[in-house]
Amino acid sequence: MPFGQQSFKKPEFIKVSDVVWDIPKTFKPGMRVPVRVIATKKLLDDMDLQVYDQASNVATLPGIQKYSFVMPDGHSGYGFSIGGVAAFDVNDNGVISPGGIGFDINCGMRLVLTNLTIDQVKPHIKALTDKLFQRVPAGVGATGFVKISKEEFKKVVEEGAEWAVKNGYGWEEDLERTELHGRADWADNSKISSKAIERGYNQIGTLGSGNHYLEIQWVKPENIVDEKLAKKWGIFPNQIVIMFHCGSRGFGHQIATDYLQVFLNVMERKYGIKILDRELACAPFNSPEGTNYYKAMACGVNMSFANRQVIVHRVREVFSEIFKQDAEKLGLHQVFDIAHNRASLEKHKVDGEVKELLVHRKGATAAYYPGREEIPKMYKDDGSPVIIGGSMETGSYLLVGTEGAKETFCSTAHGSGRTMSRTKAKKIWRGETLLKELEQKGIYVRSVSYAGAAEEAGGAYKSIDEVVEATALAGISKPVVRLIPIGNIKG
Amino acid sequence: MPIPITIITGYLGAGKTTLLRRIIDETDKRIAILMNEFGEIAIDSKIIKGKNIEYAELAGGCVCCSLSGEFEAAVKEIVEKINPEMIVVETTGVAEPDALVLSIEENLPEVKLDAVITVVDADSMIRFPSLGVTGRLQIEIADVILLNKIDLVSEAQLKEVEQKIRELNNRAIIFQTKFCNVDTDLLFGLGVEHHIKMHGQHVLDVDYFAYTTKNFFVQDKFEEFLKNLPAEIYRAKGFVKFSKGSFLFNFVAGRWDLEKWEDVKRSELVFIGKGILKLKDKIISQLKAVEQR
Repeated sequence: MPFGQQSFKKPEFIKVSDVVWDIPKTFKPGMRVPVRVIATKKLLDDMDLQVYDQASNVATLPGIQKYSFVMPDGHSGYGFSIGGVAAFDVNDNGVISPGGIGFDINCGMRLVLTNLTIDQVKPHIKALTDKLFQRVPAGVGATGFVKISKEEFKKVVEEGAEWAVKNGYGWEEDLERTELHGRADWADNSKISSKAIERGYNQIGTLGSGNHYLEIQWVKPENIVDEKLAKKWGIFPNQIVIMFHCGSRGFGHQIATDYLQVFLNVMERKYGIKILDRELACAPFNSPEGTNYYKAMACGVNMSFANRQVIVHRVREVFSEIFKQDAEKLGLHQVFDIAHNRASLEKHKVDGEVKELLVHRKGATAAYYPGREEIPKMYKDDGSPVIIGGSMETGSYLLVGTEGAKETFCSTAHGSGRTMSRTKAKKIWRGETLLKELEQKGIYVRSVSYAGAAEEAGGAYKSIDEVVEATALAGISKPVVRLIPIGNIKG
Repeated sequence: MPIPITIITGYLGAGKTTLLRRIIDETDKRIAILMNEFGEIAIDSKIIKGKNIEYAELAGGCVCCSLSGEFEAAVKEIVEKINPEMIVVETTGVAEPDALVLSIEENLPEVKLDAVITVVDADSMIRFPSLGVTGRLQIEIADVILLNKIDLVSEAQLKEVEQKIRELNNRAIIFQTKFCNVDTDLLFGLGVEHHIKMHGQHVLDVDYFAYTTKNFFVQDKFEEFLKNLPAEIYRAKGFVKFSKGSFLFNFVAGRWDLEKWEDVKRSELVFIGKGILKLKDKIISQLKAVEQR
């Protein structure tokens, strides 16, 4: 089992600070850079050892800059660890790797405000959750209400959330509050397979399974950490907000699978790249295969932006119906939409020199410090909003990117990080009992399957408070508000 | 009676589709094959849309199903609509099979897990020394491993790969293959009561022997006997009689189950494994020792 495996060597860490730990290049032959782990001592000790093995494998890839990073919520994943960040110099043979992006391309979080308070929503929580459960389909094979042809879907994957807004799903202002304006404009639908289209075209507006969810959350007054910024971003004590987590569904998965095959075929033969683990299959960014994947990945990015855009529209519909008021009047404005599974072409200073880097963030969120060009205008002076999804029981966070993120290529954590495999969680928790317990705690949950709920038990995750604290101590992001669920739907 | 279900895993390009083709070509059973999508297996037949699956009858009796809904719901639908003699599930090359096994064992009383078959690409195992998360899981959980593409590696490398596999799993039977050339009946433990087919190019060092008795076995002693079966025996099956009744028994790579059965006249057991004929006398005398006196 991937957790707690004994067969991996525990590295000798070099302590840089209380929350920064390095694994030197001598740990494994072929490492081009050291590994840097952002974690408290406790998180460091608790991390499964395969994470360090994987991060040091990543450190051997061509073009990698400075460090192979592990965020405090790191756990082992496909090739790269989840919580892994690696930046490659595209002008110096830097690579692109599907394993460093994740199968659920552009999987991410969206946070939406309301002007409702806990007292107004509490009496309706069951009706609200039940209706959201109907309107936002969850589960592996869930299909959405947006019925479009495969030809139309090809437009979606090039236009992203803009397509959705143009077709009446959501507001123009949503795009200003979405990374990349909701559209990866380098997408090219000729680079994706018909199999991918087949898997994706009927899945817009669906959550999917696994740890994907939609939550109604409560801003407890004592959980507002940065009052000034919270206020500026429209957050007030006892407010109700909506947060959801989903991605590009089977579509992104198919794109990643397709290109893994392509890369496995050319990597060594054509480009002479030797890797330690085939799950790290990659190609030079500036190669036909690498560029094609970058354009195909963008299609996955756009599908996921469109997906979340349609879901926002459904959420607004449901709130309007239950509270018998327009969504505008209910103040259902989006705060932000941000992904944690993507590779982005960005400019960063490396040892005093500005370089064009492809930053892979897999289970890691972009945290741009104030002034960066990637931040939408309205947040530019504050730093970019960062949405960290926790487990049902432990709550979630809204953070903001800070100066220290210069050291991590503008990256921070993405969630609380698993401490055990899904299978093990299922063995320990009975979904049915868990849901009852949660209801007693004031969280009403609708789940497609009990087993699915058990996989996501809070006890299967690291403490989100500790993860967020580690990022704050490292200076890469700082908390604005902590959010507690009162209603949850999941796959 | 629950329908046996077999899971096929393996990394991208290891040879899963080749194996499926072979199964389809060789079987004379009604097998439902659940794959994540059609496409790799050419299909000219009419595709029927169900709720959680789409499916198509192939010439020869196999039914190809592609998943369009939840896995568990899809399996239930297969049992209901197709009622096959057995089900084979092909996982995607990147899937972690442990969740699937749990799901079958806990939530699907309609079926019972027969075996997890993992196709391993010998050449890749040499070229990429670090085994990823998914690759490890796939090997760890296997009952049967097809060590495929052995023609692409040297004999020394093959030994190295076998050893690497053994470090993760010393329980599974390993078949060395090229183009997955294994007698597919062996994978499922079907038809062994009669004979083991040898197809033209197959060269397999697998033997089998049978034991029949009218005596009852003592159940706890019999199970103790199973626990101590030598690792060379990877598969055994048949009927056993205990004083409390008859059971169908099925043993794969150290794991077994006994299922209540209508009364049979005799216990009949078949043992399969590599080079096991030399163990035959010892095993039969052990069996005699656990008969009721």
